[in-house]
Amino acid sequence: MPGSTAALMFLGDRELVHSMRIERRSFLTRLLGTPVLATLGGCDEDRTSKGRLRAVWGRAGVSDGRFNKPRAMAIDADDLIYIVDITARIQVFTTAGEFVRGWQTPVHVNGRPTGLGFDRRGNLLVADTHYFRLLTYSRQGELLETLGGIFGHAPGEFGFVTDAVEDSQGNLYVSEYGEYDRIQKFSRDRKFLLEWGGHGSESGQFARPQCMALDGEDHLWVSDACNHRIQVFDTNGRFIRLWGTNGSEPGQLSYPYGLALDGQGHVYVTEYGNHRVQKFTVDGRSLGYWGRDGRAAGELLYPWALARDSRGLVYVLDTGNNRVQCIEL
Amino acid sequence: MFHVAFDSPWYLALLAALPLIWWSSFRSLGGLGRVRRAVAIALRTLVFALLVLALAETQWVRTTDRLTVIYLLDQSLSISQAQTDAMIKYINESIRQQRDRAREDRAGVIVFGTESAVELPPLDETQQMPRVETTIDREHTNLAGAMKMAVACFPHDTEKRIVILTDGNQNIGDALAQARALAEANIGIDVVPIRSQSFGEVSVEKVSIPSDVRRGQPFDVSVVLNNKAAAGHERGPIDGRLQIVRKAGNREQMLTDQEITLDPGIRVFRWREEIDAPDFYTYEARFVPQNPADDTLPQNNQATTFTHVRGSGQVLVLEDFENKGEFDLLVQRLREMNIEVALRSTRPDELFTDLAQLQPFDTVILANVPREHFSDEQVEMLARNSQNMGGGLVMIGGPNSFGAGGWTNTPVEEAMPVDFQIKNAKVIPVGALAMLMHASEMADGNYWQKVIAREALKTLGDQDYCGVIHWGLREEWLWRGMLKVGTNRAQMLGRLDRMTPGDMPEFESSLLLARNAFANLPDAASKHMIIISDGDPADPNYGPNGGMAGLMKQGVKISTVAIGAHGPAGHARLRSIALKTGGKYYVVTNAKTLPRIYQKEARRISRPLVFERGSGFRPQIKYPHEMIQGIENPLPPITGYVRTTAKENPLVEVSLVAPEPPGTNNPILASWTYGLGKTVAFTTDTGKRWAGAWTTWENFDRLFSQIVRWSMRPTGEAGKFTVSTDVRDGKVRVVVTALDKDDEFLNFLNLISMVVGPDMKPIDLAVQQTAPGRYIGEFDAKKTGSYLLIVSPRPGMAPIRAGVSIPYSDEFRERETNEALLSSMAHVVPKQGAAGKVIDAPLDLKSDERLAKLLETNTFRHDLAPATSSQGVWHLLVLTGSCLFFFDVFVRRVTVSFDWVGPLAAGVRSRILGRQSRPDVAATMERLRSRKAEVVDQLEQKRAALRFEPTAESPGDADSMQEAIDQPATSAAQRAKTQASLTPEQEPDSYTTRLLKAKQKARGEMKKDQPD
Repeated sequence: MPGSTAALMFLGDRELVHSMRIERRSFLTRLLGTPVLATLGGCDEDRTSKGRLRAVWGRAGVSDGRFNKPRAMAIDADDLIYIVDITARIQVFTTAGEFVRGWQTPVHVNGRPTGLGFDRRGNLLVADTHYFRLLTYSRQGELLETLGGIFGHAPGEFGFVTDAVEDSQGNLYVSEYGEYDRIQKFSRDRKFLLEWGGHGSESGQFARPQCMALDGEDHLWVSDACNHRIQVFDTNGRFIRLWGTNGSEPGQLSYPYGLALDGQGHVYVTEYGNHRVQKFTVDGRSLGYWGRDGRAAGELLYPWALARDSRGLVYVLDTGNNRVQCIEL
Repeated sequence: MFHVAFDSPWYLALLAALPLIWWSSFRSLGGLGRVRRAVAIALRTLVFALLVLALAETQWVRTTDRLTVIYLLDQSLSISQAQTDAMIKYINESIRQQRDRAREDRAGVIVFGTESAVELPPLDETQQMPRVETTIDREHTNLAGAMKMAVACFPHDTEKRIVILTDGNQNIGDALAQARALAEANIGIDVVPIRSQSFGEVSVEKVSIPSDVRRGQPFDVSVVLNNKAAAGHERGPIDGRLQIVRKAGNREQMLTDQEITLDPGIRVFRWREEIDAPDFYTYEARFVPQNPADDTLPQNNQATTFTHVRGSGQVLVLEDFENKGEFDLLVQRLREMNIEVALRSTRPDELFTDLAQLQPFDTVILANVPREHFSDEQVEMLARNSQNMGGGLVMIGGPNSFGAGGWTNTPVEEAMPVDFQIKNAKVIPVGALAMLMHASEMADGNYWQKVIAREALKTLGDQDYCGVIHWGLREEWLWRGMLKVGTNRAQMLGRLDRMTPGDMPEFESSLLLARNAFANLPDAASKHMIIISDGDPADPNYGPNGGMAGLMKQGVKISTVAIGAHGPAGHARLRSIALKTGGKYYVVTNAKTLPRIYQKEARRISRPLVFERGSGFRPQIKYPHEMIQGIENPLPPITGYVRTTAKENPLVEVSLVAPEPPGTNNPILASWTYGLGKTVAFTTDTGKRWAGAWTTWENFDRLFSQIVRWSMRPTGEAGKFTVSTDVRDGKVRVVVTALDKDDEFLNFLNLISMVVGPDMKPIDLAVQQTAPGRYIGEFDAKKTGSYLLIVSPRPGMAPIRAGVSIPYSDEFRERETNEALLSSMAHVVPKQGAAGKVIDAPLDLKSDERLAKLLETNTFRHDLAPATSSQGVWHLLVLTGSCLFFFDVFVRRVTVSFDWVGPLAAGVRSRILGRQSRPDVAATMERLRSRKAEVVDQLEQKRAALRFEPTAESPGDADSMQEAIDQPATSAAQRAKTQASLTPEQEPDSYTTRLLKAKQKARGEMKKDQPD
């Protein structure tokens, strides 16, 4: 990377930690600041934060195990985390952040994938956004299937594909934005069944449906990012409910990019515009949020995605900081 | 690994004073007892020692064996692509195989030519370099500069080594001196020489013509060719074709194309030539070898030179290629007035590309041509042609001229006698431009966004509004909304430099921001918005309440620029936004064309600068300049012009002004002298649109011919001056010979000379007399291209112009690898550590074998001194000393009794063991009683000391006192006990209470004494 940014990159983590440890002003500030803040309160964490930071891993880079603007994340049944970044590399990590394996999508000149998910057989679904298609990979990185690839709004054609999920019957739902913000449903053998949506802000319409999740009743939860809301549909695309308004107060949303359900009546949302993770009840009541904009541990910058592991820990893809933060929420 | 070091170790000598402290302390602290004295002395010793260590500037030093290797890759023009590929392969393999990952060694790459750039920053990862991505100026080899950059890039706490991959043929800087500086800084140097398998080289060394070429006089064009054998190789004759081409304007004529056989060594070929028409001629000689394999570098097979044969004045009229024929009438009339006119359009293939090409013309007329038809360099050339070369420059009006043509804040505006912005007007029509910047994923995308925004901002006038929306933490203005450019311009440019646009989720929120901002600008006569994006934010809301509708309602047009767009979807969205609002849609594949798009777009908001009134109005003569000699009021009416403001400079002469709009005094015709040249602004047109009535005016020819003639470069007898130039070792030597008309030497002339280089920058040239009539000067000519030289002998005389051409970069002069330099650099020994190595392999090996051979030398080896990083700890020592000093005082001033420890321990022990010891309890009770009595006694004594003393007027008290005397003596303790038991509710009177009572009593007595 040429130019002035290079100088910043020379500061590796080690140096940062080292400089924090011995820098007098920083030390005294922290020494004095901690009790003062603890006494005064008023910061987000005291008031509404329900989360507890468990781990931070990942750093900027292009070699294995490092990230360059990671954009999507999914977790498999073995608690392995799959992350794709703007180099179009799909990298697999343990929950402790150890690099396991990685591969790259076939072409990525036009743009890189922005959505990851798993089907019922445990294969990785990759929303190859700028090639208007859905790639299915084995967990080892073998390309199994390609759906779509033609730009358009006819059945089976796509705009910018953002995410894909499979319901309990094996039906596939693919979300897209562009001129026709919609969700298309495909059968188990990938035949087009139906579509719904359209660009707009009415109920059932979308402005960049960025992420989807299915609950135990096969209800489809959609993060309608640019309408700053969450919508819920049944498997036939019938609108059930929506909640969320634009804003930065607790309970409000700003560009919800990531969505996860815990099966216990909670919804977790990453907010790209508010740089935080918010926890809701299924009817949209906020149970608090975690994080704020920044670069320190416990702070987030443009978080795109999140995932929950089998222990209930939430992994947040801290895109702007090229790392993953693990929290208990 | 850590250890301690001292920056000022001589302060440690103060520790010798410790025995003195011990001795004096031992004596002065004698009263403290043995233990306390020992503790106090120990603390005092520590405090003193810590202070001394602080004075000695104690450093906490960390030693590390991590290594950083930075590869310096020569990318000057002398390095071929094949060599670059091989070297990249070597670097990648070296990093992959030799970098110690466990030790977290770092590797980085710097590429260099004239300048250096970091290709890969030194990171502790196995970076691979597919190709050279960085664009640098490759015309020269500045190895020393690259070494300096490497020093700046090294992390401070690692061992450092540079590996230089070069042919060593530096032509800027001193690499060996820099290598010595690196050795001082403990930086190791390895060298990988880049060699080419060269068997020989043919080059055209130069083309020369006599300095005093005159019309109709035959002269020789000499071409110097060099057929050079590589070291250690035999070289035979080379067959090929020699071509000599003469160019004048757009005409190109092949003078000769002959087959020749070139024997080894330097050969000179001559061609007899005669010039029959005045013009500016360029001679180009080319050698084309029959067998390309005979020649290593084809780039040095041609050379050029030029000469100017002066005739009568000639004028260049540049017209807009999109509106051709607009100035045909003017051209025709000028020709009728015996002015030689060349009419060219602004099509790129017709436009001048070099300052030399402007030299045949004594005046350049910009006839209603917009700024974006010219590159930055061409605009600069127009201004320099006037300022430094004495040419005239006339700008004629039309809606594409002056400020309306986007010429604001350009060197041409500087050259003109008018400012292209309107000042001092009561109502100033202003424009407003909002720019929306979305992060671009194309290479250098963000850099180009900044360039574009800067260019657009420069084009705006002071009164215009400008705002930039980008994605920071959310969609936001780069500065507070739409602000007037005027005094904010510098700050705006600063903000733009720091801008890092993020990935915007959607367009809508930004369009709403813009809509609201435009709504607050009622005075903006034209509103425009430009979106630059890769096209993947979500669609805007096209509905009636959306941002698009709001903008369209206000008449805002949106132009969109697709840059690095994500396929058809991205294009479709951007095209749709532009179409819906009536803006323009651009697709950019080459980022370098972006600034021009933005200039054109920014110009859309400068339309208010055009003033039009259909009913017409007559310009007024304000000053009888020689350009309007013989012309008097009333002038025919015009219907429009471009508004400007005359520069506030006494040299500016405004000859004609427009009386409309009322209350203003806008120039129609203004002129001044700019540097060596003259420039004229004529803000209305020549009849096509606004000055139709003038075409039939009898003074039309007179006016325009006088304007053009006044602006032309002075002509006249140039005397017998000859200027010859000679290029040698990157320097141009200029020799001027001055004779008068009788062929006598002209001495003691004060020759004013100026050189304009290929980059349009003036170069200082001092010409000194060295012999009778002979004047010599010299200047550096490192860059490739034309150097134009103008010498003014004396005021009133026409300047003498000459030029010299550097046909190809010094890099293309065939040279052997500079073994001596490379070897010397590798053998410079770092202050602590071993000398570097020359990593080399025979050229006749296969490429894989050669690579393996090169990799035998480990560039990540450990033969350098370990790196250290130190941290001053004096402040911690002082802090610790201060704390200990407190304890020193504490020990001396406070007696800490440990008597309670024994009983407490006994109590604890007995409680744990469950034993009770009655006799002990009885003894303890007895001690308590006795202690209590003692305390009561002390209290009583204190109370007695404070008690109010009785006076003679208080008999009661005197009585009680007597009673006390009469009572048998009892202990104070018993008395207190008795009192306490008898009057338990009564609290003893305080001193104040007693005083108060006595006072009241005294007052009562006084009242009794007073008579009723």
